[in-house]
Amino acid sequence: MFNRSLVPILLLLMVAFFVWQRQPAEDSLLSRTALVMGTLVEIKAYGDDRELLEQGLDAAFAEMVRLEQLFSTHIPKSEVSRLSAADAPLIVSEETATLLGLGLKIAQRSDGAFDMGLGKLMPLWGVESDQPQVPEEQSIALALKGIGPDSLQISEQQVRKQTPGLQIDLGGIAKGYAVDRAVEKLRQAGIFSAAVNAGGDIRLLGDRQGQSWRIGIQHPRKAGEIIATLALQNRAVVTSGDYERYFEQEGLRYHHLFDPQTGRPARGCQSVTVVAADAASADALATAAFVLGPQKGLALLERMPDVEGFLIAADGSKLATGGLKDILEWH
Amino acid sequence: MALGATLKRLTRFDRYLVLSLALLVSASFLLLWGRQSGSRIVVDADNRTVFTAPLDDARHFEIEGPLGTTRMEIADGAVRVLSSPCPQKICIGLGDARRAGDLLACVPNRIVVRIEGEKEGEAYDLLSR
Repeated sequence: MFNRSLVPILLLLMVAFFVWQRQPAEDSLLSRTALVMGTLVEIKAYGDDRELLEQGLDAAFAEMVRLEQLFSTHIPKSEVSRLSAADAPLIVSEETATLLGLGLKIAQRSDGAFDMGLGKLMPLWGVESDQPQVPEEQSIALALKGIGPDSLQISEQQVRKQTPGLQIDLGGIAKGYAVDRAVEKLRQAGIFSAAVNAGGDIRLLGDRQGQSWRIGIQHPRKAGEIIATLALQNRAVVTSGDYERYFEQEGLRYHHLFDPQTGRPARGCQSVTVVAADAASADALATAAFVLGPQKGLALLERMPDVEGFLIAADGSKLATGGLKDILEWH
Repeated sequence: MALGATLKRLTRFDRYLVLSLALLVSASFLLLWGRQSGSRIVVDADNRTVFTAPLDDARHFEIEGPLGTTRMEIADGAVRVLSSPCPQKICIGLGDARRAGDLLACVPNRIVVRIEGEKEGEAYDLLSR
């Protein structure tokens, strides 16, 4: 008789055991944030070995801090600051030379819409300061002197500015490159599933536990809402928009994405999202396409190999490259 | 009825035991469901956690950073920045954070706000902005 009365007890024990043992699916996720390169960086990594994940994230963040020292315009001893100050050819590190080379290539492919020589414009407009202003035309013209796709000559690690006073700003490419390097550090640590997000510059390593990562794209005019989602693995996604860093004067929005031809904020788009193999290229191409405006920007993304993207025009209309149709969902 | 016969054969101790286990199982389920809705906000200042609170605990609070005081509000199941000493006020423009995994940051004042909790039915894993 005792055995029979034990049956419901055993059944209840089994249910209790199942419930108490149930672990959340994301126990193997390690997620950390830090403020690096003037932005919020979030790294997520999946894996069974917690110590390995910790080591990988430590290495990835350390790499981004190292690159900040190399590329920041706010650090006087950075290579970028030294290049801006140089009035003679300068020997830079191999990776700085490589990044400058990539930037020049995109500057040429975009007919100068992407430009690394706009270092004088940002302080002139003061978009990121507490005293932003619309500068005089003459000041803008002076700030644009010497820019263009041919403004730098690179020979191995030697960089020569065509115009000695040219000020370098890698704001449109360095963050993406740092994201790429952080992902490389995660990979070297033995991590196969991770994502690095530096203020919207995203690079994905592998998939998300057997599924694609779902990337939400910020709505350019509705804070806290997304305009689209992308389902991706092993790709980089970068969005450039006019909605975060800007000031308004007499009803006009002045943002930080300057058209090198005019020295003024580009007006054709609200935002551009680029999907590419690496975040550095996606970063620079997003800026270039934004500057070019919806039609020319779309054409640039269409003709770049292994690149997709979509643009939200100034009137709110949406344009996307053909390769996104199976992975892009509008909201 | 086999179940009726079995119940008749149970001693008083058996019945207390079965009742206790049934309560235990019910409590376990309640605990799991409760965890899914119990999101919290965690605020880091200069990479150190300085404030946490349940997301359903409506209140105003202030966090000190290198530039001064950032004022925030928890209301309607979301957290938002009300005022900040930073020049651009990007953090205010970011709007609400309400889903587990959402982040808000005031980079100049070195403050990061994140929502921690169980994720369910979310539309995306990462946000490109």
